[in-house]
Amino acid sequence: MFIEVAQFLTILATGLFFLCFVFSVIFNVNDLNIINLISRIYSHSFLLFLFSFLIYVWLAITDNFSVLYIAQHSNTNLPVFYKISSIWSAHEGSMYLWIIFLSLWGAIYNIFSKNDEPLKARTIGIISITTVGFLLFLLLTSNPFETILPLPPENGADINPVLQDPLLAIHPPTLYLGYVGFVIAFGQALAFLIEGDSNINWEKQVRFWSIISWSFLTLGITLGSWWAYYELGWGGYWFWDPVENVALMPWLAATALIHSLSASSKSSILRIWTILLSILVFSLSLFGAFIVRSGIIDSVHSFANDPERGLYLLAFIGLLVMMSLILFSYRFALLVSNKRIISLSKESFISINNILFGTLIFSTMLGVMYPLIYEYIYDQKISVGAPFYNAIFVPITLLACLFLFSSIESKWQSKSVIAFFNNPTLASFIFSLLITFISFKLYSVSKLWTLASLFIGSLIIFRYILVIYSYIFHKKFVNVYSVLAHIGLGLLIISIALNNDFSSERALNIKINETEIYKDHEITFDNLQLIDGPNYESVRADFIIESQNGNKFSLNPEKRKYFARGQITTETAIHASILKDIYITIGDQLDDGSWIVNVQFNYFIRWIWFSAALMIISGLFLARTIKRARQ
Amino acid sequence: MTVFLRLLILSISLSFFYFFYLYINEDKYYPGASFQTSNMPLFELEDLYSNKVITNFDIEEAYLINVWASWCITCRVEHGFLMKLSSQGIPIMGLNYKDDRNDAINWINKFGDPYKQIIHDIKGELALDMGVTGAPETFLVKDSQIIAHYRGEVNDMIWGDVFTPIINKENIFNAN
Repeated sequence: MFIEVAQFLTILATGLFFLCFVFSVIFNVNDLNIINLISRIYSHSFLLFLFSFLIYVWLAITDNFSVLYIAQHSNTNLPVFYKISSIWSAHEGSMYLWIIFLSLWGAIYNIFSKNDEPLKARTIGIISITTVGFLLFLLLTSNPFETILPLPPENGADINPVLQDPLLAIHPPTLYLGYVGFVIAFGQALAFLIEGDSNINWEKQVRFWSIISWSFLTLGITLGSWWAYYELGWGGYWFWDPVENVALMPWLAATALIHSLSASSKSSILRIWTILLSILVFSLSLFGAFIVRSGIIDSVHSFANDPERGLYLLAFIGLLVMMSLILFSYRFALLVSNKRIISLSKESFISINNILFGTLIFSTMLGVMYPLIYEYIYDQKISVGAPFYNAIFVPITLLACLFLFSSIESKWQSKSVIAFFNNPTLASFIFSLLITFISFKLYSVSKLWTLASLFIGSLIIFRYILVIYSYIFHKKFVNVYSVLAHIGLGLLIISIALNNDFSSERALNIKINETEIYKDHEITFDNLQLIDGPNYESVRADFIIESQNGNKFSLNPEKRKYFARGQITTETAIHASILKDIYITIGDQLDDGSWIVNVQFNYFIRWIWFSAALMIISGLFLARTIKRARQ
Repeated sequence: MTVFLRLLILSISLSFFYFFYLYINEDKYYPGASFQTSNMPLFELEDLYSNKVITNFDIEEAYLINVWASWCITCRVEHGFLMKLSSQGIPIMGLNYKDDRNDAINWINKFGDPYKQIIHDIKGELALDMGVTGAPETFLVKDSQIIAHYRGEVNDMIWGDVFTPIINKENIFNAN
């Protein structure tokens, strides 16, 4: 009964969203009455849609297994938290949530922007038609409301065990919030192009929403990376998995977008970039949805699928993106600014970095597409791995950081050559050289790229610390949160470089009661126990690890077998400290009774999470200051 | 210059989408399907209803093997289609996968039996040899050779697009 109500509300909302779009096309969108009307219809259809989702959540909590999707992915034994998160543990439900977030951003935009803002009605129209496209996809090809009647099963099939993790329960929602948040930038950019009045300044508004979405996207990616580190047992933070790459591309484009926006909210010079990037970020987010949900790429992330879905998504996304690009080229003349970009101005550095970011996006896309094109032509599967991406990302990122460093002294729309050679710049140079030299001499860091990253990372950190210094003591105006976010970037670069240089791993063949020595640590295999968990059985190993300076602790990696699906998972054991993680996983037992045990020393990995956290928090606070400045 | 730039952006994106259209329309289209031939592994396992042992020699020249379990919800969804297939005279061998015997028998009594015989693979031994990763999965076997393998639910569409072409090509089940 309730499930039919939920489905009906969703269909009703689809109709109303479509009405918003139609009204925004056929009526005069500068008439305040029309804007009020569209805005009201949108709010109401969002509420109906949200209500349908709340019913769905309630059905999941109350174990209503007559709903096929809930029966397939939930179980009476699960705690309520996982019953709810089981909704986004597979394709249909996660698509449902994705669309909820899409329309949620529209609703938030609708509430927070005043009705007399020039592009409002068109923006809502575009957000609505995007929502309708995905709602039809949901209802026609991936219906979460399908039932198994008249004989519902007594219990559900259970959520995939690797997904029974608090971090993974919040990873998809945050990531989705980030992805679809860019629908506002997309909608405003298209509305601006349709309206065709170059005097409208929409960039400030969009900048605020984009920075918030960017923070969520960064958070979602970081949570995924952290989860993969401790749950999957591979021991790294980034694997250049195709699905990670399709999340990285919108992130790169979004990063370029928020920087271009800060330029074009002051003058219209970088408007072409801003428009193109607004379209690109959202298109790349949609491309990610297409890749994951069409089943084109095998990955931890891919969903079970049927081919209609891929075709529908391709058609809809293709249409949306092509229409936007045609509109873009049609209105090209509108975007060309009569002012030239002055060399060595802040705008000039932002556009150089836009080009560098574009190169990174293009290379990532190449890495994702190349295996597909190769397979299409030669019918052979190949994969593009870390060496390709490292060869491109390391030099280009460092170059972009050098331009960032140069831009700190530069000013908007004016040349500032002399300022480049002043005390703070010189001091940062000397300080960074010193740091690099010390790490080379004392800590035997010898790889060229590590030293380069160390130098450039410290350059950024130290220069920005001096910016904060002059903010505090000379009251020189600066946006502290932007500074902190960039310090986070410097820290991230250094941590990644050091992690890459220092970390090491070794596979040991070890029997119970044996001791092995690895990197000044005595590793003793003390005991092995069989453990019965609530829905799994497990082999748990006790390792005692003693470092040279007398630190002693035990680590207990596990290998679990879940009853419901017979799935085997490895549970890593991690001893974390400020500088390094000691990370142990157990593999198979050999015929002579010894176990394969993988020991990793992961250096500076906590610093990577910390840097990302710094960027996320600064991003959110930065958005707040923009909001304040506008009021 | 700007005209060139505009055309470049449009044509690159168009060819991008066109490529995916081509890619999706190939028969690789079904990621769950695999047509690599391999030998049907040797096995000796009990029948679901009795202690009678079933081996490779008890089965026909050409048949489907359907991996299922009473705990598998998707198998419930697939079940109706299997009933239809069996009523059309397609021989289906059930491989009951990591399942309690009583649960499995109750399940069959409740929903109907599309299978000629059901192998009770409580430990998943045969399933492991065949490369099963979960349930449901369906294999097409001819003369002790696995010639098609599909992971996931078989329905009208999958049957038509994945199984029917190879059945017609191999001329089995008195191809209709």
